[in-house]
Amino acid sequence: MTKQHAQVTEWTVREQKERLDRRANFFILDVRNRDEFSAWKIEGRETPRMLNIPYFEMLEQGGKDDFIESIIAYTSRELVGQLPKDRPIVAVCAKGDTSAYVADGLRQLGYDAVNLQGGMRAWGNFYEINPVTESRELSVYQINRPARGCLSYVIVSDGQAAIIDPLRHIETYLDVTRAKGFRIEQVIDTHGHADHISGGPALAGQLRRPYYLHPYDAIHPIDLLPARVPFEYLRDGQPLAVGKARIQVLHIPGHTLGNVACLLNESFLFTGDSIFINSIARPDLGGRGETWAGLHYHSLRRLLGLPDTVVVLPGHFSSPQEANVDRLFMASLGELKEKNDGLRMTQASEEAFVQYILGSLPEFPPQYVEIKRVNAGLLVVDEEKASELELGKNVCALAHAYKADPT
Amino acid sequence: MSMAFDKVLDARGLACPMPIIKARQEINTLQPEKVLKVLSTDRGSVKDFQGWAQTAKNITLLAQETEKEDGKEVYVHYVKRVS
Repeated sequence: MTKQHAQVTEWTVREQKERLDRRANFFILDVRNRDEFSAWKIEGRETPRMLNIPYFEMLEQGGKDDFIESIIAYTSRELVGQLPKDRPIVAVCAKGDTSAYVADGLRQLGYDAVNLQGGMRAWGNFYEINPVTESRELSVYQINRPARGCLSYVIVSDGQAAIIDPLRHIETYLDVTRAKGFRIEQVIDTHGHADHISGGPALAGQLRRPYYLHPYDAIHPIDLLPARVPFEYLRDGQPLAVGKARIQVLHIPGHTLGNVACLLNESFLFTGDSIFINSIARPDLGGRGETWAGLHYHSLRRLLGLPDTVVVLPGHFSSPQEANVDRLFMASLGELKEKNDGLRMTQASEEAFVQYILGSLPEFPPQYVEIKRVNAGLLVVDEEKASELELGKNVCALAHAYKADPT
Repeated sequence: MSMAFDKVLDARGLACPMPIIKARQEINTLQPEKVLKVLSTDRGSVKDFQGWAQTAKNITLLAQETEKEDGKEVYVHYVKRVS
């Protein structure tokens, strides 16, 4: 095996996202093992056609000692009918090293092949920032982590900012504040997250600003241990000022006991994990779905009492198709009352709602218990472990939000 | 807890795809029934060695373990050549 890491043509995850958004024509050859591929894969509004052939199958069945020669042998023999010649093929693997060899081999066969730089790990850690509204009095930015379906927010008014549900790559938020020239005053977590590691404590700590969390979520629900991160208590009805903007905290237990929503200037409702565009949150991640479903019902009904014109800005999405033409995940409460199945069930009886919920619970990812420990400061993990805990899409909504595999 | 083996391949610090590429080369130098012990620091090697062993006809994966060394995890794979 003498091949050096070849000069490769590659594109970055940002470039890939841009191509997905404009529905560019390309094909994905994912060479990870089959379990990883079925757990999560690249998605877009119209996910491109893709093929999963684990690299070790190409190596073994190609039969040569040299990896690239094996790729060439295998591809010529097995994949000619399946790989297109009329569009780019992007080779994808877990970290972007193996796929570089694959792209090289494909190019030698005349395909227009590129490597996805950094692989799925880079895709998983990629963020983009989209403005919901921008003006001198008030700006709201939605920060999207497409691979995981996580959404966080920056609210700016008069040069002061509040961050809602920051993810763990806090440089993302620090970069935005530097670029736009404002100062972060508050860091808020709408709840104790199970699906991702919060950047709240780290961001607040670094900036010496308060980190806000409802105290009920400062108890790990499975371990029943108190959090070790410093935080400021959020309570129902609490007002928070961000420059000239006014946030009202609404305590809406259900998804967690300390779940809150933030109503900004009576117009924007940051629902965290309660109401999503296509679904509602599951109430069982604390291990007590039956008990908490009723709480969830009453909390959602309370939110439904807000005016129809209020704009919902959720904490997650299950499908990139939930975004509007501006790539934003947002909808009015009035629209969601009609189209969102979970909210329609909320307008039925509590009993019917609870039945609906309990019949719609997706699988419980085991790493969610550990992630909550990290968020409570009960467990410290390094970057490698953190990345690993966060692999894959979030499973925060009810099961029907997750469409069947299109490929 | 460790198994008997005939040769060691130290692939620690090597990124995917090198652990499997090298393991495949080493296994081909062994006689049938001999066991190669592979050390890797690549967490992906756990599933990947399982997948490779399923697709390769001349080997079987006897066991896998995780050891802790200097705070880092080392993944150990015992691969036996069967033909």
